[in-house]
Amino acid sequence: MTTAIPTFSKATAAATILLVGSVSWALLGAGLQVLSTLQLLIPALAYVLPIPWISYGKLAPLTTFLFTYGWITSGFLGVLTILIPRISGIPFRYGRILGSAAIIWQVAVLVGLAEILWNGSTGLISMPFSRSVTALFFLSFIVLGTGLSRGLGRSWKSGPLLPRLYLLGALIAFPLGLGTAELLLRGGLAPGALQIMMQFVWNSFVHHLWLTPLALVLLFQLLPVLTGRPVGSLSLGILCWVATITLGGWIGNSLASEGPVPSWLQSAGVVTTLLLGVAVWGNGTLLKPLLEGKWEECRRQVALRFLAVGLWSYLASYAWLAFLALPAVRQTTTFTMVGQATQTLLLFSFYGNVLAGAVYALLPASRMIGWPSHPTLTIHFWFSTIGLTLIASSYALAGFFQGLALNDPGVPMSTISSYLRPFLCTVLVGQVLWWIGQLSFSTLFFASLLKLFPSVAPVAIFPVDYDEQPQPVRQGQH
Amino acid sequence: MKSGQALFIVFASLLFTWAGQIALGYFQVGRLEPILNEETNYTEPPVPSGLAQTGARVFASQGCLECHSLSVRGPSGSADLTRGWGPRRTVPRDYLFREPALIGSSRIGSDLSNIGLRIPDSKDLMLHLWNPRLRNSNSTCPPHPWLFERKVAGPKIENDALPLPTKDWKQILPKYQAKSLVAYLQSLHSDYALPEAPIK
Ligand code: HEC
Repeated sequence: MTTAIPTFSKATAAATILLVGSVSWALLGAGLQVLSTLQLLIPALAYVLPIPWISYGKLAPLTTFLFTYGWITSGFLGVLTILIPRISGIPFRYGRILGSAAIIWQVAVLVGLAEILWNGSTGLISMPFSRSVTALFFLSFIVLGTGLSRGLGRSWKSGPLLPRLYLLGALIAFPLGLGTAELLLRGGLAPGALQIMMQFVWNSFVHHLWLTPLALVLLFQLLPVLTGRPVGSLSLGILCWVATITLGGWIGNSLASEGPVPSWLQSAGVVTTLLLGVAVWGNGTLLKPLLEGKWEECRRQVALRFLAVGLWSYLASYAWLAFLALPAVRQTTTFTMVGQATQTLLLFSFYGNVLAGAVYALLPASRMIGWPSHPTLTIHFWFSTIGLTLIASSYALAGFFQGLALNDPGVPMSTISSYLRPFLCTVLVGQVLWWIGQLSFSTLFFASLLKLFPSVAPVAIFPVDYDEQPQPVRQGQH
Repeated sequence: MKSGQALFIVFASLLFTWAGQIALGYFQVGRLEPILNEETNYTEPPVPSGLAQTGARVFASQGCLECHSLSVRGPSGSADLTRGWGPRRTVPRDYLFREPALIGSSRIGSDLSNIGLRIPDSKDLMLHLWNPRLRNSNSTCPPHPWLFERKVAGPKIENDALPLPTKDWKQILPKYQAKSLVAYLQSLHSDYALPEAPIK
């Protein structure tokens, strides 16, 4: 139970900065995303308003950048800064330095944003920013990552294992991937087609070896605590962890169809995507039973509700990726809007919902505030869930039609554009709904930070604040 | 599990990922060389001009890749060749002198790997950048007027002014960005045969 007098952890400032950044970038990104879909839907807009910074060519890479590095990464780092010292019982020490690192991350996102608006994207997949932004990300990561890795603890005799394993993998994969990508793509070390392969590898690192493991840290820690049920089999969990970090970096190449990537690498991509699907299914068998028969709790506890949707989206995203890797499907869907459907599933439904659930669960523990039971909670959940369902399904259908039409040489390109229009309309509706959901979440988030609401008792995730007296975690796997 | 074991597994699997793709990939495509055409004494793929290399960056920065791909697929399972997007499929060697090497993610518009063959004339490409609907009234390709400027026509005839009616004696002139982008688009053609990709 929480104490009445708030005791602020050293990392509270850092966590708050990261989360405020995350929420703000998401709002901005969602607004710009609506604008970019409008540009695609109504090509005449580009004639009426010929402004370079709001062209589709600028907005599309910009929103992906804001969502990946601003919203999700900053948000994950924020909730982990709250979570990790509490599961290990090792509080952070240098609060100021952590806070500065959190600010540097936001500055990096801001510089990236300005660069893409003014100079445009670099065109590199998942690396639309310049070297200076990479340097800022690195600087911030070194501090935050060191802080988080201290929280892993030296001896792993007690406390949860699976969240630690995923965190360890992510903390090593991110700098390694970013460093090699930077060296090979911009250090002049990789000529020609090797650059394209490196882009696919880096894209896989960002998603499957960095963000997915971080989301799994949260799922494997928070679901057992919130449901009061332990994860069934630790050895299966470890096996799936090994599979996830071994295979995750490979799967980007499954999406390249012919072209510049050697065919054995594409086949390797297909095989690893299918195998990774099996590992994800294994994690599903560990996590799904935690939620069985917990409908009532899911309805009452907003955190659990978002995490549950996040878990389902995790399974759905990787099943979808495995489906897309099948050679026959791949031939139809490469270079189509199916890519946007995948992004919606992975980034928004999986990472986004896990992040929202984690914020709902963890912010009270860090700031000693509760979420008011407010209609805004319901709005956030339903608008974002319905919005994302609309977006993902419209993009997926649009992509399949687009792929079939592209493979029929009798259909001219401008006709294909007109086929896409009805789907883009529903995408637009979905994006507006999601934005409204995000708006209501942000209102609640900022109002709670400013303590504008009368506090309701927060969900007790942690029995005590570990700043005062470190204690081993109450639940989880041992 | 001990932390040391976990650390070992993480490093081993990341090494496997890295070595398996980048190191092996390096031996396969990283050491490709251009083919010397004995008749013309030019290399294939040809080395692009400096202007075209600047244009590649303009192409990336304008986000053309969000709608156009740069990779022609072979005849099995795709209609790229029958659509006239190129004389043959694209292979890794084609990207040898591309800096940055890009492939694109979406085909809202056509593949541009051979746009230099389809629209060889620089004036046509300029007009397309200024206003795609001048060439194709249904075009959904967005205009890029910010790559141009209006200037009062001087006493000497401007060679690169767009062939459009002047307004207030002002002509539409391409900026350096537009010129380099057009040079880049013109440099995109794979009409040379390679040992691994003959033209049938
Ligand atoms: C919003 C998506 C979009 C963006 C961004 C875009 N295009 Fe297009 N482009 C299209 C579509 C759709 C077509 C096909 C319709 C047509 O023929 O005009 C097309 C056609 C073209 C064509 C004619 C292709 C042919 O086969 O005849 C060229 C050349 C072209 N675009 C160049 C560019 C360049 C250069 C850029 C970046 C400065 C760019 N486009 C940005 C959508 C886009």
